[in-house]
Amino acid sequence: MSLAEFLSGLNQLLGTGIPMAIFSVLSAVIVILLFAMPVGGFCTYLERKVAADFQERIGPNRVGPLGLLQFFADGIKMFLKEDSISKNADRWIYNFAPSLVLAGSFGAFAVIPFSAYIIGTDLDIGVFYAMALGSLVSLGVLLGAWSSDNKWSLIGGMRGAAQIVSYEIPLGLAVLSVITISGSMSMHQLVAQQAWPSPGGVGHFWNVFHNPFMFVNFFIYFTAALAECNRTPFDLPEAESELVSGFNTEFSGMRFGLYALSEFADVILFACIASAIFLGGWHVPFFDLQSLNIGLSVGELDLSPLVQSVLMIGVFLFKVAVLVFVVMWLRWTLPRLRVDQLMNLCWKYLIPISFFNLIGAAVWTWAFEGRSILQLLGQVLGVY
Amino acid sequence: MTLVDLFVAFCFVLGAVAAFFTAFHPNILYGAISLIGSLVAVAGIYGALGADFLAAAQLIIYVGGILIVILFAVMMSEDIYKRRFFEGARKYIFPAIAAGVIFAGLARITLGADWSDVTKPDFEPTARAMGWALVGPYALVFQYVVVVLLSGLIGAVIIARPAVKMKQLDEEITKSGEE
Repeated sequence: MSLAEFLSGLNQLLGTGIPMAIFSVLSAVIVILLFAMPVGGFCTYLERKVAADFQERIGPNRVGPLGLLQFFADGIKMFLKEDSISKNADRWIYNFAPSLVLAGSFGAFAVIPFSAYIIGTDLDIGVFYAMALGSLVSLGVLLGAWSSDNKWSLIGGMRGAAQIVSYEIPLGLAVLSVITISGSMSMHQLVAQQAWPSPGGVGHFWNVFHNPFMFVNFFIYFTAALAECNRTPFDLPEAESELVSGFNTEFSGMRFGLYALSEFADVILFACIASAIFLGGWHVPFFDLQSLNIGLSVGELDLSPLVQSVLMIGVFLFKVAVLVFVVMWLRWTLPRLRVDQLMNLCWKYLIPISFFNLIGAAVWTWAFEGRSILQLLGQVLGVY
Repeated sequence: MTLVDLFVAFCFVLGAVAAFFTAFHPNILYGAISLIGSLVAVAGIYGALGADFLAAAQLIIYVGGILIVILFAVMMSEDIYKRRFFEGARKYIFPAIAAGVIFAGLARITLGADWSDVTKPDFEPTARAMGWALVGPYALVFQYVVVVLLSGLIGAVIIARPAVKMKQLDEEITKSGEE
């Protein structure tokens, strides 16, 4: 049973109207509180631990076993800190900006397909919706930076907005080529098509191995996503060594917390989208998890979907975790780019390459009628 | 009155209030920022009335692109807080007349239309149909837009070129003309 069916069942129970609206809003808030917030918080702990490993330090180790509760302590500190606003700050915009960033990065989680049965809402324009909400982030960064009346902030904010607007183009083109070969924008459809190829099945295995152009496109997507989340080597908007803390210099307490949290939420979001549209989502090689039947049932209720779901979520989150780890790994490996290098990389390399790849993927889809390398290989070898 | 009706009404009010602020706020920065409200409200109306692709496109193009460019321009202007763009009633006469004419036209069309046979269709995804329309019946219009955008891009490149190079280019052109 998908969440949508569950909701429509509840809809009949509650009747359409205000109670349903309140329930929807509340459930969205609860999902955010239960998933994105703790995972985002845990990522701050992970980031410090990974950083420590790369620098041969121990990292946080005092709060709880292995320092695991460190992010709770951080969170409590954030809540208790004085919420100071500098005198000349533009209060209205200053208060408003962090919520824009939060809305942009958390709202997109609605279309992430955690398993074949668990997805907030399977919008027909899923990927496009996620990218549209992502555009709120750059607005929040720019407004927050401008309103805090601080040179460092303003430089950081301008850099951030310019960077995000620029890198949205290769990102969008990479996603567009996925849509080209799949013919759908719905997240569920996109993932369902990436099953292990079987005779008469729709699956063509992970999009990243669909054809050579898609393989390159995955790395373009990943690079552009790094820039979209302001992560090293593209962390110019908050370059600590030049701009104090960049666009969020003047923010303190929970307002800063919102910025920090949504940065990690952004990283997780882009990792989720990358693993859903390129790395096959919940699919594993050689086997279709959805055909798994354990033959256990409680009364009328078949337990297979439940077990499948648990496995799918595990597979999906494992891929996300690997991507997030690579992001952290890059942070402690690569130096920061200069502004001109950043723009050169985007406009002179990534965008032409991604245009070429888009045309290449379209030609491949036309020439081989949408079949992937693996399917063609299977045909040549006569497997099916 | 269903929830969708309520939501659309809310979007209309939000959009109208934000548009009012955009037009009449003495500080141009706040004017630009309140554009967020009207643009998001329009996206909300699109979304609630079943044009899902259009709603997302509205967000990604207007809020994520054009609004940011407007904000860039406004924030780069000097002494944005000191300037007041409220310079007397005379400047409002022509815009008021234009707005009045457009409003009267729209009102006439809206009131004159026969709404009795309009039934609300079930929600249908629109993206696929729009895609086919753009490569089918509207291909020519689509290509026209492409050409307009391309000329805009070329213009931007020429404006962004350093002045020195332009001078060299001019000299080269005059030289080749003399030869």
